[in-house]
Amino acid sequence: MTSREGVRTALVDLSGTLHIDDMEVPGSVEALKRLRKSGMNIKFVTNTTKESKRVLHDHLLSLGFDIKRDEIFTSLTAARHLLEQRNLQPLVLDGAPLIAIHKARYYKRKDGMALGPGPFVAALEFSTDKMAEVVGKPESRFFLSAVEEFGCHPSQCVMIGDDARDDIGGAQNSGMKGILVKTGKYRGGDEKKIDPPPQHVADDFSAAVDFILSFLL
Amino acid sequence: MAWLQRPVRAVLLDISGVLKNCVDGKDVAIDGSVDAVNRLKASGVPVRFCTNETTTTRSKLVRRLQALGFNMKEEEVFPPAPTVCLILKERALRPHLLVHQDAMEDFAHIDQSSPNCVVLGDAQHDLTYENMNKAFQTLLALEKPVLFSMGQGKFYKEDNALVLDVGAYKAALEYACDLKAEVVGKPSESFFLSVVKDMGASPEDTVMVGDDIENDVGGAQKCGMRGVLVRTGKYRPSDENHPKVKPDGIVDNLAQAVDILLKQ
Repeated sequence: MTSREGVRTALVDLSGTLHIDDMEVPGSVEALKRLRKSGMNIKFVTNTTKESKRVLHDHLLSLGFDIKRDEIFTSLTAARHLLEQRNLQPLVLDGAPLIAIHKARYYKRKDGMALGPGPFVAALEFSTDKMAEVVGKPESRFFLSAVEEFGCHPSQCVMIGDDARDDIGGAQNSGMKGILVKTGKYRGGDEKKIDPPPQHVADDFSAAVDFILSFLL
Repeated sequence: MAWLQRPVRAVLLDISGVLKNCVDGKDVAIDGSVDAVNRLKASGVPVRFCTNETTTTRSKLVRRLQALGFNMKEEEVFPPAPTVCLILKERALRPHLLVHQDAMEDFAHIDQSSPNCVVLGDAQHDLTYENMNKAFQTLLALEKPVLFSMGQGKFYKEDNALVLDVGAYKAALEYACDLKAEVVGKPSESFFLSVVKDMGASPEDTVMVGDDIENDVGGAQKCGMRGVLVRTGKYRPSDENHPKVKPDGIVDNLAQAVDILLKQ
């Protein structure tokens, strides 16, 4: 597989792709160094809603990752932008819009799979007869805002993540390339959950980086 | 009145919001309802009570209602749990239960070892993240995940506030696991029809009275019954202009429904 246009920007998911709780996905620290050497733009995109960017950043540094705080783009930042733009107060009331940071179904914890916020958003949608407005992955707006500063075409961006629908499906729907990793929440057959399927499926982040460096530049 | 154009030979009554409300954590009979049930029964029309109540056992529910003065026997009351137990036995399923502590007794005789399905009820304060997660993990580990939801209400009224009903949690697990739950209780057609059959009646001759526009009124209508909405319980004025369900009749309360019925 070769690309007509070389990839210039990599979007990398965090939880389940680079680390699981306080454990590095083996080889990821080294793989990130290899990716950086290629001179590519890198942005870390996460749907985390449980910690601020500062806490998240400190956590990644402690795991040995060479990551700058302003390289992290979170759905919380995207949500704040939306609230500011529309001058909204975060409340769910009669007639008020329901805004979801993201709708991930589940994620991988050390002790197994754990429910993400998506199911609880679905619960509120059902009981209020109202569809939530999603600001994080898999929304196109989220992926496109994350790479805005680099001024490159979506086809020159590749997303690496462990969530077939929200990471890969979302990125591919925005015109980006997608590589699904078989770590974190990945379960056999996940690549069949989206149509078109992921452009590539890699064993882990390290293998994904090798694929990018060999075939997508 | 449209709902009286054909004879009424059997009556199904919802319990919560029709017979009684819950105020400050206590059951209170709705004005005129005790007498209305008595008058209905005295007229000779068969009556059954069809409820999605899953926060207690059937026998405790019946005792609570009898204490409020209601004339009813346990065999006239149809909550989802006994039906779920029948289905579990028929299909050799062993449940992981996410149900109310006070309702566990209704499942005591069911094998719950190495679960191969999940049964969800209105477990109220036990619907915590960790308990939802356990149910989710159980389903995710199954090759053919089966989820039973006892009812699918959106919300109900308790202590003058609207609180999330089991339907919200059903929607959460359905979304997380990419599956459709099997609903036992209202508005499931087989559930309604089994109660109608118990009265020896046909759906065309039966009227259902409830405060839930979708599950009571809409559900009954889908089975060929007439559905009458009461303006008590969780009723909201907007229910009278529901986009999908048009009740066959709307009454202030059960007493008024029975007045009209018995005048015919």
